Amino acid sequence: MNSRSLPTFIKVGAAAIALIAPVFLPDFLLFEVCIALSYSIAVLGLNLLMGFAGQICLAQGALFGFGAYVTAYLNAEFGLSPYWTLPAAAVLTAAAGLAVGLPALRLQGLQLAIITFGIAAAFPQALLKFDWLTGGVSGLPIDSLETPAPFAGRPELWLYLVTVACAGVAVLLVSLVLFGDTGRTLRAQRDNAQIAEALGVNLTKVRLWAFGISSALAGLGGGVFAILNGFISPQSFLAAVSINIVIASIVGGTTTITGAFIGGLFIVFVPTWTSDINLALGNVIYGLALIGVMMISGNGVVGLVKKLVCGMLQTTSGNVPSLKSIQGRKQWIALRK
Amino acid sequence: MSLFFQLVVSGLASGAIYAALAIALVLIFRATSIVNFGQGEMATFSAYCTWQMINWGVPVWLSLLICLAASFIVGIIVFRSFIQPLIGAPIEAMVVVTLGLFVLFQAVTMWIWGADQRAFPSIFPDGGIAIGGVQVRISALGTLLALAIAALSIGLVFRFTRLGLSMRASAYDRTKSMLVGIKVQRMLMLGWGLAAVIGMIAAVLIAPRLLLSPTMMTPILFYGLAAATLGGWDSPFGAVVGGLLVGVAESLGGSYLPMVGAELRIVVPIALTLIILLVKPVGLFGSYKVTKL
Repeated sequence: MNSRSLPTFIKVGAAAIALIAPVFLPDFLLFEVCIALSYSIAVLGLNLLMGFAGQICLAQGALFGFGAYVTAYLNAEFGLSPYWTLPAAAVLTAAAGLAVGLPALRLQGLQLAIITFGIAAAFPQALLKFDWLTGGVSGLPIDSLETPAPFAGRPELWLYLVTVACAGVAVLLVSLVLFGDTGRTLRAQRDNAQIAEALGVNLTKVRLWAFGISSALAGLGGGVFAILNGFISPQSFLAAVSINIVIASIVGGTTTITGAFIGGLFIVFVPTWTSDINLALGNVIYGLALIGVMMISGNGVVGLVKKLVCGMLQTTSGNVPSLKSIQGRKQWIALRK
Repeated sequence: MSLFFQLVVSGLASGAIYAALAIALVLIFRATSIVNFGQGEMATFSAYCTWQMINWGVPVWLSLLICLAASFIVGIIVFRSFIQPLIGAPIEAMVVVTLGLFVLFQAVTMWIWGADQRAFPSIFPDGGIAIGGVQVRISALGTLLALAIAALSIGLVFRFTRLGLSMRASAYDRTKSMLVGIKVQRMLMLGWGLAAVIGMIAAVLIAPRLLLSPTMMTPILFYGLAAATLGGWDSPFGAVVGGLLVGVAESLGGSYLPMVGAELRIVVPIALTLIILLVKPVGLFGSYKVTKL
């Protein structure tokens, strides 16, 4: 695993930046970063599902919205504290995701993509239709978080810490899944479903697990998003959000954890920066990024950085061996000794 | 009862358009095992080009012909530049690339022509005829006729010409076709070009009703996907039947099921897709595939 993950100093550096970021970021930017983090949680789920399980879900934005609405509804109707709505959002969204995924997951990846594409398109309509539950066009409000005394002067900082904590939980969950037996099983069925099945992997069960966890993370991200905004409406969960989450996953690097955060920042800041020039420019960049990443590196920004870093670290040994060929793998093993 | 038949007729008319898009999707799937999520947006782009030419004063039929040819070339260019280098990549990679086409074509259309809706001239005359109390619009008949012609000509080409045989062969088994001397890459390219042409026909037929906008085909694409799943991904005939079924089911479901209603019509094809996946996963007319280790 070591040879395939980023060097530790980069990870530690990123964590350090995340911790000191609020000190010098203005409140507005800090809020944008929080929103990006909430998306990243959903992207992380998708990375588990798409990168490691090889199943594509185009409804991650709808599940994200589902989580947001669970949070808002529990808070608005039952007066539950926003903190306590988050686990509920994760669990209920996982249940909703499983209900959707169960029929499609029995089959090859394409069916899941088609069904979930439809769900993404239908979700905003459903929100409008069931307006007695969701508040329709006018949406639902969410109480703001009670800020503890030390943060009273700057509630944004407390929001940021809560968001970072949720992202941390998500990272922990995904790492636990990936580094254990389940992770190996997931990768095995992705790389060759038939052989994995012949070796005793229950494909449907493994894929359902991945889908359930991925949906739970989408729900958690959605809940955080709702709390951050303090108000949600169907306008925030159009089909484009689902596609944006796929874009984030691909751009960041779909088989990485770090990539989810790069992707989250990408989909929040690219539209902000490009909308001044031309409203369509952001989407042109998105489209080119999707195609470009697939054609160039396949593992997004993180994949590129890894290539560069590994290249720099190993300049003495000449060419960087490719993991794809047997010879390359032998070279890698030799290098690591 | 006449309401029922009225709904069936209007369902068939929209179903014909879903069927056309489904044929395009199935053609590409058969040729390259890819579901092209960008098909609808590519078609919108072609429809905009046609609109632009008509707006410049070119006669309607001439601009249609020119743009059909242009769509064919665009389909080939897209295949050559984005798809061919990635043939053999895993499914999720291909879905991502065609999703990229979806986003890219929509954005380019919006960049060039803006997000405003535009009226698109109908190629059929206005008015309608009454058949036993059911009002049938001429444009609906024309749409069905156009679908029938398109489907029939594709069917005939596939069935009775050498070109069609080569295309079927390369869709069936790429390696073996190459061994018997078929230029497989060229056949795949043709498949993509043909699909782009049929997609454009669907867009031009629906544009007068929906008004031209960059997102016009997005819901249609979903109906087309449902139609293809229903009919079976390797059967153009199934695509036609699936499209008509989806159209009728949507029209009836939207009116007769109060909990669905007009707003949630899109749920009908989702439900149909889920049911067919549970009952007969390969679709009504699809064939089972055997995977060898």
